[in-house]
Amino acid sequence: MKNRLKIERAILNLTQEELANKIGVSRQTISSIEKNRYVPSTVLSLRLSNLFKKPVNDFFELDENEKANA
Amino acid sequence: MNVKSIMECERKNIDKLKKYQLSNQFKKVGWIIFGIAFVALFLTTKDTNLKLIAKYSILIGLLIVSISKEKIEDELVKNLRMHSFTFAFIFAVFIAITNPLFSYLANFVFTEKQEPFSGIGDWMILWLLLSIQVFYFEYLKKMHR
Repeated sequence: MKNRLKIERAILNLTQEELANKIGVSRQTISSIEKNRYVPSTVLSLRLSNLFKKPVNDFFELDENEKANA
Repeated sequence: MNVKSIMECERKNIDKLKKYQLSNQFKKVGWIIFGIAFVALFLTTKDTNLKLIAKYSILIGLLIVSISKEKIEDELVKNLRMHSFTFAFIFAVFIAITNPLFSYLANFVFTEKQEPFSGIGDWMILWLLLSIQVFYFEYLKKMHR
């Protein structure tokens, strides 16, 4: 899954630590999501969506192989 | 009591069981017990009772570390914890199953004695389970830094 978390974070001018505090996770979680090492839960994605004031699809996108069965 | 209320009651009990974890402060306590017991195990040579207490204290220490929460217990940590439990379970079962065969073969090859198959022992299985879980979890956390 591709993501634009780093870009969205830069738009709001937040550090990983600040973003993590705002959505109640650790900095490592934000870092792992940005590096595509961890796919967040729906709850966390919706918290990010609330914070960025954008739909989840705007900053998370399925890879081509993940879209295969759609 | 109808089936729905029984199921609801069961669900509540399961939810209670999910809250098995200790607070983060216990992690230090666990490591201290583990450290003291580990040193005591190597210092005791003759007293078998003391050695036995030290061996089981190691397990208690690791168990406390294993079930203590992280400072921030978020979904990534829960995910890594789940992976470490899975890995530890599979690895420990694999070792427990294959160890008698390997020790039999090693005995046969190096001493040429045909010793009977012997099990791995309860302490060793628990040590494998707990140590692999705790250290693999620490390794996974380090990988996600």
